[in-house]
Parts: sequence; structure tokens; C-alpha cells
Amino acid sequence: MRSNFKKALSKAASITIVVIIIIAIAAGAGWWWATTQQEAIPTTTSFSSTTTAATKPKISVIKIGLIEPLTGAHAVFGIEAKEAAELAINVINNELGGIKSLGGAKLQLVVQDAGSTPDNARLAAEKLITQSHPNIVIGAYISRLTAAVAEVTNRSHTILFMDGLVDDLTQHGWKYVFRVAPKASAHGKSAVDFILDMAKKKGLKVKTAVVLNEDSVFGTYTGNGAVLELIKNGVKVLDHITYPYDITDVSSIIARIKADNPDVIISVPYFHDAILIAKAIKSEGLHPMFIAAAGGCGYTDPDSIKAAGDAVLYYTQTYSFNPYRHTEWAKKLVGMFKQKYGKIPTEAGGIILYTMFTIYEGLEKAGQMYPSDPLNPDNLRKVFLSLDLTDSNSIAAQLYPTGHIKFLPNGDNEYAGTAILQVQKINGTLTPVLVWPEPQPGIQPIFPRPDWKPSSSS
Amino acid sequence: MAFGEWMSESKKYIIGILVVGAVLAIIPFATSFDQYTILLLATALIYGIFVVAWNIIGGYAGQLDLGAFAYIALGGIVASQLMIVYGITPWIGMFLGAAASAGLAIIIGIPTFRFGIREVWYALLSAALVVIMNNIFHMPQVLGSLDHYLPSVSGWFYLEFPTYENIYWFVTVALMFVMLINLMISHSKVGYYLRAIREDELVAEALGIDVRKYKLVALATYASILGFMGYVYVVLQGTFSYHTFNAPESIGIAIMGIIGGLGSIAGTLVSGFSLKLIGDYLRGSLGATIPGLNLLIYGLLLVIIGIFEPDGFAGIYRKYFHKEKSASKVSKK
Amino acid sequence: MDPILVTNNLIDGVLMGMLYSLVALGLALIFGVMDIINFPHGDYVMIAAYISWLIAMAFWVDPSVTALLTVPLFFLFGVAIYKSVIHPILGAEPLIQIAVTVGLGYVLENIALAIWHAEPKSFPAPWFNFGLNFGGLSISVAKLIAATVSVISLYLTHWLLTKTKFGLAMRATSANRLIAPLMGIDVEKVYSVTFGLGIALTALGASLYMMWAQTNPYLGSSFSLLAWVIVAMGGLGGVVGVIYSGLIVGVLEALGNTFISPSARLAVIYLAFFLVLWFRPRGLFAKR
Repeated sequence: MRSNFKKALSKAASITIVVIIIIAIAAGAGWWWATTQQEAIPTTTSFSSTTTAATKPKISVIKIGLIEPLTGAHAVFGIEAKEAAELAINVINNELGGIKSLGGAKLQLVVQDAGSTPDNARLAAEKLITQSHPNIVIGAYISRLTAAVAEVTNRSHTILFMDGLVDDLTQHGWKYVFRVAPKASAHGKSAVDFILDMAKKKGLKVKTAVVLNEDSVFGTYTGNGAVLELIKNGVKVLDHITYPYDITDVSSIIARIKADNPDVIISVPYFHDAILIAKAIKSEGLHPMFIAAAGGCGYTDPDSIKAAGDAVLYYTQTYSFNPYRHTEWAKKLVGMFKQKYGKIPTEAGGIILYTMFTIYEGLEKAGQMYPSDPLNPDNLRKVFLSLDLTDSNSIAAQLYPTGHIKFLPNGDNEYAGTAILQVQKINGTLTPVLVWPEPQPGIQPIFPRPDWKPSSSS
Repeated sequence: MAFGEWMSESKKYIIGILVVGAVLAIIPFATSFDQYTILLLATALIYGIFVVAWNIIGGYAGQLDLGAFAYIALGGIVASQLMIVYGITPWIGMFLGAAASAGLAIIIGIPTFRFGIREVWYALLSAALVVIMNNIFHMPQVLGSLDHYLPSVSGWFYLEFPTYENIYWFVTVALMFVMLINLMISHSKVGYYLRAIREDELVAEALGIDVRKYKLVALATYASILGFMGYVYVVLQGTFSYHTFNAPESIGIAIMGIIGGLGSIAGTLVSGFSLKLIGDYLRGSLGATIPGLNLLIYGLLLVIIGIFEPDGFAGIYRKYFHKEKSASKVSKK
Repeated sequence: MDPILVTNNLIDGVLMGMLYSLVALGLALIFGVMDIINFPHGDYVMIAAYISWLIAMAFWVDPSVTALLTVPLFFLFGVAIYKSVIHPILGAEPLIQIAVTVGLGYVLENIALAIWHAEPKSFPAPWFNFGLNFGGLSISVAKLIAATVSVISLYLTHWLLTKTKFGLAMRATSANRLIAPLMGIDVEKVYSVTFGLGIALTALGASLYMMWAQTNPYLGSSFSLLAWVIVAMGGLGGVVGVIYSGLIVGVLEALGNTFISPSARLAVIYLAFFLVLWFRPRGLFAKR
């Protein structure tokens, strides 16, 4: 038993720290509010609109649910997705005047945090469905979270637009799911196609490759997509290395690649490891013909360039979203995003942008096709399956890398494709630029790497 | 303690368990089968079970086990794989899962207790066990990197249902059993030995208590309860993979147990149940506005409780509602 | 397996091992002298790495240089944490100590998430991110510097513990906290300095680590467990034990990466940890 005096002293001390921490939270919160101009729309109980009256129903609000990992290791994606969703909804409601065919009905965003485990994602989905009754849901980026959400939405016959890229998400037999974005293996394939295409143009021969992927489900599918495409094209895969994305030191992996001495390296990174790998490749002095990355995040994101600097020069990366597409709406929305959040939208935000505008196009069409019951999920499903969006007839396609969105019966986009960005030095600053399939005006892909040292052995 | 007194006291507890079970069982009707509420309560209750089971090793035996998900995931994956690969009903699979988890606990426990590993070393060892299992199941020869899904079937045979009330009731019944097991241990010879071990291992050994044996009994009981419930956890997750061996969540279980109050069945149940609810509420209300604020508050709560009320919820309860009884309850240093 | 590759990875493991030792030394001091279980020790590395990054970005200097600021800053931070959170739980049950420090870890982690979000942060223009080549071998200069500074700091701490009056007071307090005050030792002062020193060492480790790596809110957990494994293996046998077990962990990690898979490297380290605890419960280098 300690003396009362000591106890009082320790209590006073602990109260002090508690006060300090609370001030820190308040400061953090204030900082957050100050840097975020627009607050989330409160989830008030507004007029629900899924009635099946024979007469044309009066729809004033259409609820779009968004379930993203806002906390935990994947928060980096979820937060950007939420930012993009808020921007897109703002544009649809205010600039485009809501859904015109539904009497100018406004979209309302209802956000839920999927956390980092499937049970949290499922709870978030149940909460969203039973409390907010959204008409359409978007989520949840990470495949096992997306699967948990899809099970819930599919059971309650709610349309889910998946922004998770793992191939098998559209193979579970879920009826009410759609995915605009290209799937994981397509990313791996694109990275290889780009290299082979460039090598052919420059008269070079790619004989050997090493594939290096972080070992999440996404990384595995993407890496396997790259390996298959390499083998198909007669490139010898010397090594296929997998590693956990939270790895703290990559030197031994880079040393292994150095010993393999491949012509090209295909890397499928997450964020943290990308910076470690780029810096280690620079430090170890690897000089392959080319280093191409697949899978939507890693080397060419603005934050990564800020963190890795010169180490990521000439790296390319495949994206499900092309922030430099030369279309009116792509330029406009990317500009707005940049103005509002101080950075260009990357993978997670970009997918949400075109997904949200695909929903917008679908809702407009639903008002025309099914004026008496436009928000019935079966009607909505038919509407989305009937969409054929191109640059000339839609905003959504203008935001999409291939400029073409048409859904297959399983919910995947028939014309899915990726864009490839490369980090180049433009006017002395490191800038991600579009190089493939169509380079942006005034830009040429840099291939092979200028520091390439062709090895004598191959 | 006289026999009659024991009878009356345990009768009181058994009636308490029955009342808790009955109240929990009618909740789905009260909410008119609101699926979100039922799922939330089922998840909170299963955490309640984990924490009450943890009370056996952490509360009675005083071993800070941070390895809950090594046993939950192993049992769950064994039962799930038996069902997926061999079509064996989880009613059998869950017992085999429990046996697997108990087996793991014994393999780890024998040398660990034999060499007298205690306190922080035991805590680290159990935390490391989750990571080792995670890494082993991550190997391509075991589960690999991919997510595995339970087949889309439903019925009592598979313990999978299109709605959540049946699984909720199953969890409620399981909780009553786990509380009963706790009660039996607490009021048996084993319980007294374990508490003696917690207070002072050397003294307990000097009194002739087989310290190693009883610690092992506590660990194996705890592990088999977790292993048994593993399948239900997988059902609520909908998927399993090496991620199911979740090291941070394992520490979370122990923390809920500490906050509840060591050795208190009601305290650990209330803590596991309510902290999970609070966690979900905070995530739902704050997670979408300020990332991480929910966990930050959770951490603060832990610091405050640890500093001001080391006996946890049970201690607070005793202090404010049962002042006269506090002396006769679990004695603490 | 290519012998050059294995040699390269072993050298790398040794260099990383020295850095791990530095981080673990702070933990060993806190645990050894104060008997406080500072469970999420790695979270201090994470916060220090952010501060190091902030300073590096503000003055555009290599993160290694920022140690000049982060080390004294984190000494004060450590003392403040000691006075507010650690002091009330001195002598408390291990369970309570772990709960409180884990709670503190959650707080640190999520303050970092709220302020800096989850994107990794790293200094884009490091000075020493290049390799020295000898034959096929390539040694990272940044890591070489980090390992050298680590060894020097470890030696200085060893000197502090063994050759100074204050070190004697620390050791006396460690040996018996009840008798120490009778010998005229200000236990309170010893404790706050020890905790401050322990946290300052992690700050040094963080600044060195940031020479080639990145930080994010979840960096702490891997360092926490590694630091504890090193302390467990080293026993409380002083600085030398920490150095040897840091080396073992670094080399084991490199071997796991090379011969099994980077995904299994933690399993290799922890299996070794199990074996050490089972067969040498007091650590490999315990004096007693």
C-alpha cells in the first residue's frame, strides 16, 4: 500500500498527461477539420425512396453508401476514396443538378468505416443497409473486406460497385455486383505488355525477368498475371520473389535480384515497401534495362515521389485510373481534386471518381427506362448491364483509362484496361506522366532506363 | 467455506447465468430481428466468450496470455477445412478444432511451464506464437496468400444461416456454457490452486501444489474453448486466411480481460461485450471523420483504467456498489 | 545458393543487427533498471522517425543529422512520459504495466495516423544512399554509418553504466530498489533519467533508420517485438549481451530472408526466441 500523499501525487501527474493528450487530440482534430473543407453529409433519416408505387414516385434523395477502410493499415486508400466520393457527389449535385431524369434528385453519401478485418467490414455493411437503406453501395478496396460487404449487399439485393481488384471477387456468383476497374491480373499483364511493346519499338530483346510481389491476395494475383504473360511471350522468369508488405528491410531481396541479373524487374508493391525497394535498388547499384511496376500504388504516386525522390526516376506503374487523360472531364475533375486536397487523385480516388459517374449515368438511364420504379435493384441491374459508355456519350468513360465502359453479365467491365505512368524529370521536378497506351501530348516514354548497363552474360 | 454456503453461492451464480442467457436470448425479438443489431451483438458476445475464457488463464492462473488468436484461428481453420474438404459437419469439426487448439496449447505449455517462463516472458512467448502460426499458415504449402471462403450453404448442419439470429442464439448458449465452466473452475480445487499460483508461485509450490500441471490445465481449457468457438468466428468473418492469426487482436483480448478485472466472470464478460460495442460505436461515429480517433480513445481508456483502477470494471463495481463485500471477494495485493 | 549473395545478406544482417541492438538497449535499460515493462517500445521509434522526417524536411538535411535534435528532444519526452504515465505504475503488477503501456502505444499510433495519415514518409534526398562495391559484394553506406554510430552509442552507454558514478547509481537501483535510497541514491532521478535515456536511444535509432527507410503509423509493432526478443535473448547481462543478441537477430533475419522466404522471416526469429527461452530462460548472456 502506497502512502496517500504518493497516490495523490501520481494521480495529479496522470491527470496532467491525460489533459495533455486530450489537448493533442483536440489539436489533431482541429487540424483535421481545418484541412478538410467539406464535412461528411450527416446521416440523417431522410425520405427513403424505394417505394414501388404504380405512379411515378417523387424521389428527392438517392443514398449512395461508401464502405472503405478508414482506419488500420489500409486507411491510406479508404481516406482518398472518401475524398473522391465527396468531390464527385458535390459535382453531380451542384454542377450537374442531380439526376435530371429523376426530377433532379440529389445523391447523398453515407460513409462507414470497414476497419481492417472482415467482421468489421460486415458490421459496417449491415449497419449501412439496415440503418441508412442505401440504393447503391461502393466498397471496400481490400479484397477480403469487399467480399464481406458483397455477401451482405447481395443478400439484401443492393447493388454493390466493388473497388476491390482481386480477380475472384466477380466469380462468387453474386448477382448484384459490378466492377468498373480492371482486375488485378490485368495489371500484371499490362506491365509486361508495356515492356515488350517498348522493347520491340526500340529494337531490344527482353530475355529474362524477375517478378517481385508483395504477398497479399492482390499482390499475388497481380504478380501471377505478370508471370503468365512473361512466359507466354517467351521471357524467362529467373525468380519470382514474394514478401510481406510490412517488411522493414529489403536489402536481402535486392541482393538476390542482383545475383539473378535480369533484363527487367516487374515489381508489385504496396506503399511502404515501394519506397524501401526503390531506395535499396539505387543504393545497391542495380542497372537493369527496365523496372516496371504493376498494381495501382507504389512508385509513381505523388506521396511516394515526395518520399523517395530520385530513387523512383523512370519507374513505371500501372493504374486503374489515368489522371492525365486528355478529356474535358478528366482534366476538370483532376483539377478540382488537386485544388481541394492538394494532390492528384491516385488509384483509390480515381476508381471512385469513375465509379460514381458510372452510377450517375446509370441512374439517369434508370429514370428513362423505368420511370415508375427506377431504384428497384433488379431494374437497376438491368440498367447497368445495358450501359455502353464511351468518351462521346458520358463523363464516366472520359475518366476511364480505355474510355469505354460496358458490363459483362458477371459485373466486370468488358473494356477494362490500365494506364501506365512513368516518373520523369520535367523542368527539374519529378513528375508522374502518362506514357502508355497513348502518351500524353509532348511526352515520350523513356525506355530503356538511361542508366541501363547491359550485362555481358545475356 | 461450508458446503451449504458453497451450494447457495453457486446456486446464485447459476441463476445469474440463466438470467443473463434468457435476457440475451430474447433480444432479437425485442429488436424485431434488426440484422445489424443482432450481428453486432453476436460479435460482441463472441468477444465476451473469448474474454471470459481468457479469464481462466489470465485471471485465475495469472498468466498474461497474448496468444488468443493462435487458438481461435487454428480451431476455426481446422473445422472450416474439414467441412470444405471432407464435408464434415462443424458439429464434429468444432470439437476437433478445439482438440487441435488444446494440442497446440499443450505442446507449447509443457516446455514453457517446465522451464518456469512467467510474466513478461510468457506474454512475449504467447504473442510470438500468433506470429509464428501466422507465418506458417502463410506458406504456400498451407493456406498461402489467398483468402478462403466458406461455401455458400445454410442450415444447422453447417451452422451457416442467411440471417444472424440462429448464430446469435448459438453464441448465447455457448456463452452460458463458458460461464459455467468458469464458475466450476473458480469454485473447485483447481480454482483455488490457480489463485494461489497467481498470488505467489513459490509459495504455492512450497504448499505442494503442482504448479506446472495446473497452469497447463488452465491453458488447455482456455485454448479448447477458443478453438471450439473458432468456427463460429470464421462464420461471422465469412472468410479465413493466415490473417485470421491476428496478433494485435490477441493483445486486445487480454486488454479487455484486464479492464474487466482479473478473476471476475461478470467483469470480463461486461468488458469484452461492452468494449467491442463501444469500439464499433466509435468506429461508426468517429472512424469516418477522424481516422484512428476511435482507437486513440480506446488507448486512453486503457491508460486511465490501468492507472486509477487496476482492478478494472469489477473493482469499480465493488467500490461503488458493494463496499461492504469488497474484503471478502477475490483478494488482491 | 550463390555464396556472394549469402555473404552480402549476412553482412546486411550484421549491420541491421547493430541498429536493432541500439533500439533494444533502451528497452533493456528501462526494463533492467526500473523493472517497467515498456511493451510498445517500437512506437517510440515510430514517433521519433516522424519527428526526424519533419526536421529533415524542414532543414533539408539527411535524417542522420536530425539526431542532434531528436535525441535531446526525446530524452525530455521520455522524462515527461515517465512522470505522467510510468511513475504511477511503478511496482504495479506486470499485467497492469502491459495494459497501460499498450494503451499508450495505441495513443501514439493513432495520433500519428490522425496527423500524418497512413502514407509512408521518407526523406527524398538522402546523402548516404549508395553502396560500396567489393567484387560482387555491395555494402550500403547508410547502413554502415548506422551500424557504426550504433556501436559507438552502445559503447558510450556501456561506459556510462560501468565507469561513471551515475551508472553505478543505476546499477545499484537495478540491483535493489529498496536499499538504493539508503545509500544516498536519488531513485526518482535515476528512474527519470533512465527512462529518458531509453527513449532517447530509440530516437537515435529512428534517425539512423530513416537514412534509407520510411515511417508510417504501424512501424512500431515490428520494432517492439524485435526489441523484446533481443532483450530476452541477451538477458539482463548488460550492453554486451544486447549487442550479441542483436547480431543474432539480424543474422537470423537475413538467413530467413535468404533461405526460406521474406514472408517467414519473423517465424525464424520467434522460433529461435522460443528455443532460447526454453533452454536458457535467463537469456544467452545472463551473468547469473
